[in-house]
Amino acid sequence: MSRTAIRTIELDPKIIRTALIAAQVLALLVYLMGAAFLLHTNGGTLFLFSLGAPFLILVSVVALAGVALYRYFRRQSLFAFALFEPGDILFQQGDCADFAYFIQKGEVEMIRRDQEGETVIARLSEGQHFGESALISNTSHHATVRAATRVRVAMLGKKKFQHMLHFVYPAQGDIMHAVNQQAKKQDSKRARMSSQGPKGETT
Amino acid sequence: MTCWFVKRDTFSHWSRGWLQPLAIFYCVWFIPSSARAQKNVFQQDPVDHYGSRFLAVVIVLGVALVLFSLFRYRGVDSGAASWAILIAGTAVFPMILSGFGNVLVFERAKTVQLCGSCHLTMESYVDDMENPQSNSLAAIHYDNRYIAENQCYECHTSYGMSGTIEAKEQGMVDVYRYYTHTFRLPLKLRHPYRDGDCLKCHSEAVKWVAAHQEFQQGIFAGKLSCMQCHRESNPAHNVVAQELRP
Repeated sequence: MSRTAIRTIELDPKIIRTALIAAQVLALLVYLMGAAFLLHTNGGTLFLFSLGAPFLILVSVVALAGVALYRYFRRQSLFAFALFEPGDILFQQGDCADFAYFIQKGEVEMIRRDQEGETVIARLSEGQHFGESALISNTSHHATVRAATRVRVAMLGKKKFQHMLHFVYPAQGDIMHAVNQQAKKQDSKRARMSSQGPKGETT
Repeated sequence: MTCWFVKRDTFSHWSRGWLQPLAIFYCVWFIPSSARAQKNVFQQDPVDHYGSRFLAVVIVLGVALVLFSLFRYRGVDSGAASWAILIAGTAVFPMILSGFGNVLVFERAKTVQLCGSCHLTMESYVDDMENPQSNSLAAIHYDNRYIAENQCYECHTSYGMSGTIEAKEQGMVDVYRYYTHTFRLPLKLRHPYRDGDCLKCHSEAVKWVAAHQEFQQGIFAGKLSCMQCHRESNPAHNVVAQELRP
């Protein structure tokens, strides 16, 4: 089974880091121009300091403001979005629950691992959600989820999810109902499989 | 900034010694003054004197903040403190430096030293002005201190806001041409010399009024120019054939 491989649809952290370092290097250049002007005033240093420095400051402030705005909007947005390729593991059974997942595109398989082996207990598709029961019960995930196709999911963080449940009371009932329905389906499926013998969907 | 007065072997105790703040104080307080020509206290320009020290402090603090941020956080924003240091070092201090620095730019742009720093083109003019034997108007005004300071600027810029701004604009173009070697020799004024730049000082001087009574109306009306009479005996500058100096 392949390991967890989240590819969130966000700016590469390297780009953000590069932007911040570049802004700081530009600021150092501004200080250098200032020092050169102070220590050795001539046409060149004056020209650079009075025209070049404001330009460099503008560029570094734009880079800084860009990163700050990006961070702000990312923090303000309710969901994080992620893409998974077929076979990618979204989370493993026993992992700590950090997100509730809402499928936007594609299909995933829920896999329960026990002494007998691994069993696909459900196949979820667009519009369905998973991972929320572990958030509600504050336990670890009771199943592994694997991408069956290319999947795009919206991920709602633990704090935001609990916040939502706290303030939007009807949502609590809906989600609990959905979780119970899912659990019932899984139980009946397991009961049916155990009555048929060890063949079933066991992998 | 490097402080050469600190001996090499003292660097082993650098971090825990008292030399570090002393060295920073030296760099901030004395280097800006040593870099400028020493003047008597009554000749010091307070804007330049205190402005350069203030900017030196801003530069030292700003560089310290940026270096600390670079080495401590390495471009990763980890919390409010890192952002505060990042914004201070990358935006706030540079803006203060540039903002207050431009006040100093306007002050220093007027100095004779700055005009003379374009050696290839201006040095011969400054040399002539500072030559006590020269009979040029520039030298007479300079040697007798008819103009206390910023002599080039005072004679070549009409008073007032637009004159100053115009001078700065033209100065920038001149600096660009100088460093890109796109200037042409011999240097020529962009427009005929304005009599107003002479008259702004002389027109109400008792000696001048007495000597120019018969020409005064013609000069004020723009029918006569100062250099019409003074060119022969006292040229503006004694730079006859200007060539590139090595």
